[in-house]
Amino acid sequence: MDIELSPTDLEFQQDVRTFLAESAYKPGQNYMQWRTRWFEAAAAKGGWDVPKWPAEFGGPGWSPTQHYIWERETADANLPFDLPFGIGMLAPILMAYGSKAQQDRFLPDIRARKVNWCQGYSEPGAGSDLAGLKTKAELASDGTHYTVNGTKIWTTMAHMADWIFCLTRTSDSGRKQEGITFLLFPMKQPGIEVKPIITLGGSHSVNMVHITDVKVPVENRIGEEGQGWTYAKGLLQHERTGLAGISRSLVALEKLKEQAETVRRGNGTLMDEAAFRAKVAALEVDLMALEFTELRSLASASAGAAPGPESSILKLKGTEIQQRIAKLTVEAGGIYSAAWGARVVGPRFAHGGMQSYLASRAYTIYGGASEVQKDVIAKNVLGIRSTRK
Amino acid sequence: MNFEFTQEQQLLHDSVARFVKERYDLEKRRKLADSTLGWSEAHWRTMADLGWLALPFAEADGGFGGSQIETMILMGEFGKGLVLEPYLASIVMGGGAVRRGATRALKERLVPTVVDGSVRLAFAYAEEQARFDLEDVITHARPNGDGFVLNGHKSVVLNAQSADHIVVSARTSGGQVDLHGITLFLVDAKADGVTVEGYATVDGLQAAEVKLKDVRVPAERMLGKPDSGYEILNAVANDAMLALGAEAVGAMEILYKDTVEYTQQRVQFDHPLADFQVLQHRMVEMFMEYELCRSLLYRATMETAHGSPDASRTVHALKHLVGRASTFVGENAVQLHGGMGVTEELRIGHYFKRLLVIDSQFGNADHHLMKFAA
Repeated sequence: MDIELSPTDLEFQQDVRTFLAESAYKPGQNYMQWRTRWFEAAAAKGGWDVPKWPAEFGGPGWSPTQHYIWERETADANLPFDLPFGIGMLAPILMAYGSKAQQDRFLPDIRARKVNWCQGYSEPGAGSDLAGLKTKAELASDGTHYTVNGTKIWTTMAHMADWIFCLTRTSDSGRKQEGITFLLFPMKQPGIEVKPIITLGGSHSVNMVHITDVKVPVENRIGEEGQGWTYAKGLLQHERTGLAGISRSLVALEKLKEQAETVRRGNGTLMDEAAFRAKVAALEVDLMALEFTELRSLASASAGAAPGPESSILKLKGTEIQQRIAKLTVEAGGIYSAAWGARVVGPRFAHGGMQSYLASRAYTIYGGASEVQKDVIAKNVLGIRSTRK
Repeated sequence: MNFEFTQEQQLLHDSVARFVKERYDLEKRRKLADSTLGWSEAHWRTMADLGWLALPFAEADGGFGGSQIETMILMGEFGKGLVLEPYLASIVMGGGAVRRGATRALKERLVPTVVDGSVRLAFAYAEEQARFDLEDVITHARPNGDGFVLNGHKSVVLNAQSADHIVVSARTSGGQVDLHGITLFLVDAKADGVTVEGYATVDGLQAAEVKLKDVRVPAERMLGKPDSGYEILNAVANDAMLALGAEAVGAMEILYKDTVEYTQQRVQFDHPLADFQVLQHRMVEMFMEYELCRSLLYRATMETAHGSPDASRTVHALKHLVGRASTFVGENAVQLHGGMGVTEELRIGHYFKRLLVIDSQFGNADHHLMKFAA
């Protein structure tokens, strides 16, 4: 066991810092032009535009320690706007289960951020119980295409997406996990209707997507018919680990402390108030422990071992920590956290704090609600075989 | 010891409950909140006609001489409908300061117009540097001829944009945080030098920044004795916290009951969600928190109404518990409704947002725990 970074790792860390400093957005630049150039420059570094992709698909092939360094160094950097659906969610599935033709067709545009993807998983009747999905895909008698009908919900950025990767039902017999098929199709076509859902924070990012008689050629099916659940499940695990957001929480906690220090209380600040200080300290302790839990998980992955039991708690604990930081920001804002709308009232940091907190309530719901995650851990990690609900 | 309502109190309860049921649902409330005024003139007139605006004023002043118990009954039902009308601002807070501090002549002029709904009041106590401390007052009033000149900035003043008069706490002597040296004034919202910058709050209500620049206030509009405003300020804050506590308990009742109902209807994994023991226990916890808040609400309200010496300590306990329980009940109501819980479409989120604002008013859970422990 050794906590120090090796000389090579330190060199890499310096390399990342230099790159981030040199490629940073400068005021006055055209944002979209800068964004394009940033990804080009990152690609020129050897796959830094797709850090998590394996080397054979053009990724950097970093060690877990290098991934860790990248995460920490970029957490507070102003990286160009990017959506996870293509790069982080569909790409690994294409790499693992897609045909060579599908990889050649879709991966380059995903990498170039040319095509925006959205994820068609949840349905009004299939939330935590995702395998209960009912969107129907019927294979034509000549076997050339599927006809898809159904409704997807909570589809993030569907209104901006060019394509959707979608779980559909192709069979009702057997276990419900077994009749699911993974299809890809364009969003901008007749038969697809996107309706916005406004969330508590007052913003629009999720949608309801109605799909009516949409024809999908069989060559847009990933892998075998009926195997979609197996493909998606691997991805869910991937998505969940990424949702822990530990690097961002470390940055957010430091920011919270700085903000609380601007709130004057008597001769000191809010950070001197016992109750508030204790809550911040408890968060910091939990985050220190979770940070090393993530490192243990990364280390076992690098040794080629299956993810250890510790990795199962990352999403659960990571999202709770994000929510607690958001709640403390609201508390630090005091009466000003109630103010709503564009106008800044009171301290600058209080503006938007409530919105972030309300948005954070979804973190323990999406990507597998915490209650479902705990069921999975009880069964798969603790090995509990329940005989009743 | 008696927890039964009197016949009059029961009638009041039933009449407010009927009003909320008939006039308020999510859609109607959304329309009202989005209107320019942010609440309904017609509802306000109804409240005046039914005598609710007169409840806490003394009979001698044209009121019904009700206590904090009547306000609790009314605000509890308001909490179930998330009522938008400025009852708390105008009657409990503004009215509370007037009935405690106004001269006989001022009361004779003002109270009838407040209880008939034609004149509305607001209560400006908060300042940015003060956080939750009532006594931390920089806004100041200097004697000038027959009156005072006020300068300062009051923050997050509930319903100030629709108020005719704003009760303002100002320093007339002493240091920034001294209890002594605070005086209350009834400031005409239209007076020269008064700027009211309004905005919506996250719960769909309205608040404003009130800026005072060389505002002249005649001496007769001073509430209470000079330098002794803290006593009134504190009494009004206590009343407001009881009213907010009642409103929060009403809101929590809706949240836990809606959650119990929803989880019995929503089927996942071939079972209603309510079949899962972990969710049953969570809802039992929500219910227990709610019941404990109701108990402490009764305790704090009755102690205050009876002038018990421990009353203000119990109000701290109440505001702490309500803040803590609101977070637990609200967060779990959202969590158990899943994705639907975080949308604007269900009422759950709207109750949750109101509870969050209530926690921030007159000191949050932490603040009152420290006051209680002190």
